[in-house]
Amino acid sequence: MDVIANLGLGFAVALTIQNIAYCFIGALLGALIGVLPGIGPVTTVAMLLPISFTLPPESAMILLAGIYYGAQYGGSTTAILVNIPGEASSVVTTIDGHAMARQGRAGPALGIAALGSFFAGCAATLLIALAAPPLATIALQFGPAEYFSLMVCGLIAAVVLARGSLLKAIAMVVLGLLLGLVGTDVNSGARRFNLGMTGLADGIEFVAISMAIYGIAEVVYNLEQKQAAKMVTGALGRVWPSFADIKQCAGSILRGTGLGAVLGVLPGGGALLASFAAYTVEKKVASAPRQFGNGDIRGVAAPESANNAGAQTSFIPMLTLGIPGNPTMAMMMGALMIHGIAPGPRVMTDRPELFWGLIASMWLGNLMLVVLNLPMVGMWVRLLRVPYRLLYPAIIVFCCIGAYTINNKAFDVFVMAFFAIFGYVALKLDCEPAPLILGFVLGPMMEENLRRALLISRGDPMVFLQEPISLAFLVLAAALLVVITVPAIRLRREEALKE
Amino acid sequence: MRIRAPKDFWSGVMFCGFAATALSAARGYSLGSAGRMGPGYFPLLLASLLGALGAVLIGRSILIGGEPVARFHVLPLAVIATAISLFGVLIEPLGLVVSLAVLTVMSAWVGAQFRLAETLALAAALILFCVGVFVYVLGLPLNLWPSL
Repeated sequence: MDVIANLGLGFAVALTIQNIAYCFIGALLGALIGVLPGIGPVTTVAMLLPISFTLPPESAMILLAGIYYGAQYGGSTTAILVNIPGEASSVVTTIDGHAMARQGRAGPALGIAALGSFFAGCAATLLIALAAPPLATIALQFGPAEYFSLMVCGLIAAVVLARGSLLKAIAMVVLGLLLGLVGTDVNSGARRFNLGMTGLADGIEFVAISMAIYGIAEVVYNLEQKQAAKMVTGALGRVWPSFADIKQCAGSILRGTGLGAVLGVLPGGGALLASFAAYTVEKKVASAPRQFGNGDIRGVAAPESANNAGAQTSFIPMLTLGIPGNPTMAMMMGALMIHGIAPGPRVMTDRPELFWGLIASMWLGNLMLVVLNLPMVGMWVRLLRVPYRLLYPAIIVFCCIGAYTINNKAFDVFVMAFFAIFGYVALKLDCEPAPLILGFVLGPMMEENLRRALLISRGDPMVFLQEPISLAFLVLAAALLVVITVPAIRLRREEALKE
Repeated sequence: MRIRAPKDFWSGVMFCGFAATALSAARGYSLGSAGRMGPGYFPLLLASLLGALGAVLIGRSILIGGEPVARFHVLPLAVIATAISLFGVLIEPLGLVVSLAVLTVMSAWVGAQFRLAETLALAAALILFCVGVFVYVLGLPLNLWPSL
């Protein structure tokens, strides 16, 4: 295994004219929706899933990945200039970023956000290239028992790190697993839970349920929220940060990148958690912490580096283990599966062009994003004037066409309408939809691995505790559950997630 | 008996409802044994777990206080869900142009600041964009006009 040769293969794939174009479209779209509040990468990836099926798998992944990390660049622009996060992962950037903008230092704030993101993106891409192959090699030796326990552990970790009630999050996972089983059972051919509807013979369409929850239900929910945007319209100032700024931020960018890269790998992690953690750590570690909150440039550099690093490394568990850490990754997994590729350790050996092409494209995409962001920031600012009342009907239209065109069946559109209502009710009841989507993707695989593990052990459930790796995963899952229910830690978790 | 945590209570009711639906639908599925799982084994396991979690949520909501349920805005939800279903009904007989126009106008109408002229312009723009991208560039098999 030679990383350099593999990266060479990757660049050969990523640098074809077609894939450069998809990388550019993805990054551009990502930056665009990142800037726009009220529409995020999850919604956009959901909307583009149907289109991605018409592309070759590597182009589809390059396009969808571009949206996710592109949004991390775009989100900071809105956070700094308007004081509302364009993306959830830019929430903390509003604190110091907008303070800088009010002091007339919007330019350097935007500049350092883009540069920090670029550095983080490059470092995280390198980390994927180095860490993924050994991880996949280990994962290739997993049997069904190990896989089942790994999925349990992944789902529990995702739930623990999600915000809101633990009990509801677990219930949403279980419901997601159950919904994932709808359709024809691969082993017996029995039709399950079709409720007398022929349209459900192949199960609930993944695209329909994702767009329903992250497209339509979000729109309906957003229509209720009133947004008062105060724009800083004055001069941006010099966009390029001064040497002193960069020197001051170097440590923050490094720490943010490191922390983000680690947190991105965890299930339930990714960009959002990374940015919060990085800001909190930065406040503790940096000298003269008093200035945080009053326009300290380090308060922009650290979380923006962290969210981009986290966005990128969250691909590691998806690509090497077949475990999605967050809803965007669940959707990318869904995209792979519809192309007939089972996500997991085999992707790297069976489809090296896909894996390494995607990694090379990330580096390329990050470069494009810096170029897109620094000189063209003025254009992005103008985009902010697009009102939501023009935006949301477009989201609904794209979701409807998407749902219909997956199979050219009106039934999928009705499914989407149903789950939109469900999604809205769930949001209103504080039931986070992310665990449901993760469960939905993993449902059939979990059943299959449970079945195989028990078949091998002749029905003895102790097999999960006898295999050492499987036991380790289950112990880890149990430990996470125990730790989170200890009141003191629970309080701190709520504090950290609320801040 | 008083419900102290309405959000938890109704979440519990929702989960129990899904569990009950799953259990009743799964009545006929053969269970098999642990070593030879039938199609009903894993679903039964999950549905029972879901029901139990729902029951715990309901029970806890009576013992421990919690947040009230925020007001449901039924109108936007109902109109948008109807508009989407209508799109599903209309797309095959009436084609993309008409069904998109209906969908856009209905969705925009339910927002806070509805302006007719602006919405019509938006609908026209969206139709042009969708026809261009989905039908001409991507070549998806969609009817444009009513098929007689």
